[in-house]
Amino acid sequence: MIQEVQRFKPFSAKPIALLSEAGEWRGPFDLDLTEEKLLTMYRDLVRARLLDERLGKLQRMGKTSFVAPAAGHEGAHIGVAHALRPGFDWLFPYYRDMGMVLALGVPPKELFAQSLATRADPNKGRQMPAHPGSAALNVFTAASPIASHLGPAVGAAISMKLRGTGQVAVASFGDGATSEGDFHAAVNFAGVQGAPIVLVCENNRYAISVDFHKQTASENIAVKAHAYGMPGYVVDGMDTLACYYVMQEVVERARSGHGPALVEMVVYRYGAHSSADDDARYRPREEVQRWRQRDPLRRFKAFLERRGLLDDAKEAALRESAEAELAAALKEAEAAGPVPTDWLFDDVYAERPAFLEEQRAQLEGVTRG
Amino acid sequence: MAQLNLVQSVARTLASEMARDERVVVLGEDVGKRGGVFLATEGLFDRFGPDRVIDSPLSEAAILGAAVGMAVHGLRPVAEIQFADYVYPGFDQLVSQAAKLRYRSGGQFYAPMVVRMPAGGGVKGGHHHSQNPETHFVHTPGLKVVYPSSPKDAKGLLTTAIRDDDPVVFMEPKRLYRAFKEEVPDDEYLVPLGKARVRREGDDLVLVSYGGSVAETLKAADALAEQGISAQVLDLRSLLPWDKEAVLEVVARVGRVVLVSEAPKTAGFISEVAATISEEVLDALLAPPVRVAGFDTPYPYAQDRAYLPGVNRILRAVQAVLDY
Ligand SMILES: Cc1ncc(C[n+]2csc(CCOP(=O)(O)OP(=O)(O)O)c2C)c(N)n1
Repeated sequence: MIQEVQRFKPFSAKPIALLSEAGEWRGPFDLDLTEEKLLTMYRDLVRARLLDERLGKLQRMGKTSFVAPAAGHEGAHIGVAHALRPGFDWLFPYYRDMGMVLALGVPPKELFAQSLATRADPNKGRQMPAHPGSAALNVFTAASPIASHLGPAVGAAISMKLRGTGQVAVASFGDGATSEGDFHAAVNFAGVQGAPIVLVCENNRYAISVDFHKQTASENIAVKAHAYGMPGYVVDGMDTLACYYVMQEVVERARSGHGPALVEMVVYRYGAHSSADDDARYRPREEVQRWRQRDPLRRFKAFLERRGLLDDAKEAALRESAEAELAAALKEAEAAGPVPTDWLFDDVYAERPAFLEEQRAQLEGVTRG
Repeated sequence: MAQLNLVQSVARTLASEMARDERVVVLGEDVGKRGGVFLATEGLFDRFGPDRVIDSPLSEAAILGAAVGMAVHGLRPVAEIQFADYVYPGFDQLVSQAAKLRYRSGGQFYAPMVVRMPAGGGVKGGHHHSQNPETHFVHTPGLKVVYPSSPKDAKGLLTTAIRDDDPVVFMEPKRLYRAFKEEVPDDEYLVPLGKARVRREGDDLVLVSYGGSVAETLKAADALAEQGISAQVLDLRSLLPWDKEAVLEVVARVGRVVLVSEAPKTAGFISEVAATISEEVLDALLAPPVRVAGFDTPYPYAQDRAYLPGVNRILRAVQAVLDY
C-alpha cells in the first residue's frame, strides 16, 4: 500500500540521512523496526565487510584472479536488500554488489565458488569473479559491460506490470554507468511505462580514476530523474537506515503501481577500483581517510549501542559466527573442485549443435595428448 | 634504439605523434590521470594537459561519436576503448558514422581517427575482457583494421594509422603487452598498412596468423623446427587491407598452409584468407588450408587457456596438413 504521507521529499539538495555520524536517530518519524530486524541488518553489514576482506585475501593468495572491493558500500547494499522481498522481487546487480546479493540470501558458498570458478558456481565458471547470479533467488547474473543490465531490468519490470505479479525490480549501478546511452534509454522507457522498478546509483565519486565532475555536469545523479518523469532521491549511502527507509518507500510505491524511482546513494569505496587498479595514481590518501570516518558499520554499531542492543561481547560473538560461516562456505566451495574443461561447450544453446560437438571432440583429443 | 615492450611502445608512439602534430588528441576512459588501465597513455596527461588528453565520461558512444566530430572539425583523435569488448555501446558510431562518412558525403567529409582497443584472451578475463571483435570491423567497408603483435610493429603501424586519413581500428593484443621487449626505433618509423611481416622463414609449410596468436604460432614453429620441419610464419599485421600477395606467394611456393586466430572460428577473418587461397592458388595446394581458431562459444573464464588455439592445437593441424 502506498503510504498516505510520503516520508521523503524527492530532489532534496542535501542527502537524506536518518542517523548522525555518532549514531543518533535524527529521523523526522519514529523508528518502527524490530530489534531483531536491526540486529539482522547489522549482522549483514558485518558479513558483507568480512566477505570483502576474505575475497581480497583470496586474490592476494592468487586463488582468485579479480576482486572489486566493496568496503564503504555496505550501508547501501544492506539497505537495498532489506527493502526487497527475497526470492520474490528481482535484483539486477553490478559487480560491486557482493554484499547486496549476500544479504538477499545468495549463499556465500556460491559467491566463493563463483570467484574461484569451482563446480559449486551456479554460473559454471563462465564469468570472471565478482559476477554472481542466482535464478533461484531472482538475482540476474551480473555482466561486465557497464549499464548493459538496465534495459533488461526495465523489461522485467514491464513484464511484472503486464502480468500483474506485484513484484518489483531493483537495478544497481555506479555513477559512471549513468553516462552510458543504455542508462538513459532504460530510465526513459521505465518512466514512459510507469514500470515497477527502482534504479539505484551507488555513487562512490569515481569510475575507476574518473571523478564525478568529469562524469557529469549535473549537481547530482538524482536530478536526472526529473527529466525522465520520476522522483529522484539523494541519500547518504553510508547511513544504512536512510538507505533502507528510502528504498522501502519507493519499492512499495512501485509495487502499488505508482511507477519507478531513481535513488542515488552517496557512498565511497575505500579500496582501489579493482585488484588490477592502483588508486594512488588518482586519489589523495587523505580523502580516503576522511571517508573512512563515515564508515557505515561504525555508525550503525554506535546506533545499536546507544539503544542498548549491542555491546563488545555481542559484537565479538557476531563477528565470530560470521567468520565461521564464511570459512565453512569457502571450504565447501573449494572442495567442489575446479570446473571441467569440456563444460566450456555447454549452454551456448539449449542443445549442443553438431558443430560444437565437433569442436568439443577436437579439444578432447588435444588435452589427452 | 630502446628496448620496449608493446604497451610502452604504444605510449611512446602516442607521445611522439602528439609532439609532432598538435592536432593529435587522445580521449577515452581513464586515459588521463590514470594513464590508461594498461598504462598505454602513461605520462601523456602530465606532458600535454587535459585539453589534449581527455578523460571522457563512461560512454563509448560519446567517445566514438565525439571522435568523428573532432576529426571532421580538424583534429586527429586517437580514441581508446578500454577493452575491445566494450566497443559495442559505441559500435553504431563506428560502423554507421565513422565508417560510412566519406562515402555517404561523396568525399566531402571524412574521419581521420584511430580507435585503439586492447583485445584478446589469455588473461583470465572471462568473456567481457577477452574477445576478438575484429571480424565485425573487417566486415564494415570504410574501416581499416590493424592488429600488430610486436613492440616494433606497434610503433610503425600506430604512427601510420594516426597519419592515415581514414578511420583505423587499432587492436592491441593485451596478453602480449608485457610479454617481451624488442628494439624499437627512436626516430620516425612507419610501417605501411596492408603489409605482412615474415616472422620466420621456412619451406615445408606456412603458418599465417596475426595479433596475440602470433606468439603461440611462433612457439609451434620452434617445436616443428626441432622435429626438422621448417615452417614459414607470416604475421598479417593488418587485416584490412591485408597482404594477399604475400600470402598467396608463399602458399603457392610451399603448398601447405595453416591459419591461426583466436577469434571464433565461424566466419572469422582467417576464413576469408582461406577462401582467397582456395580461389586463387588452388592448383598449388598440396593440402586444404586448415584453420585453427577460437571455439564458437563465448569466451569462458575457467577454461581461459583451453579456449585459445595453443601450440598443441596448432601442431595437430600442421600434422594433418603434412599427412594429407
Ligand atoms: C561498457 C563498458 N566500458 C568500460 C568498462 C570498463 N570499466 C569497468 S568498471 C568501470 C568504471 C565503472 O564505474 P562506476 O559505474 O562509477 O562504478 P564503480 O566501479 O565506481 O562502482 C569501467 C570504465 C566496462 N566494464 N564496460
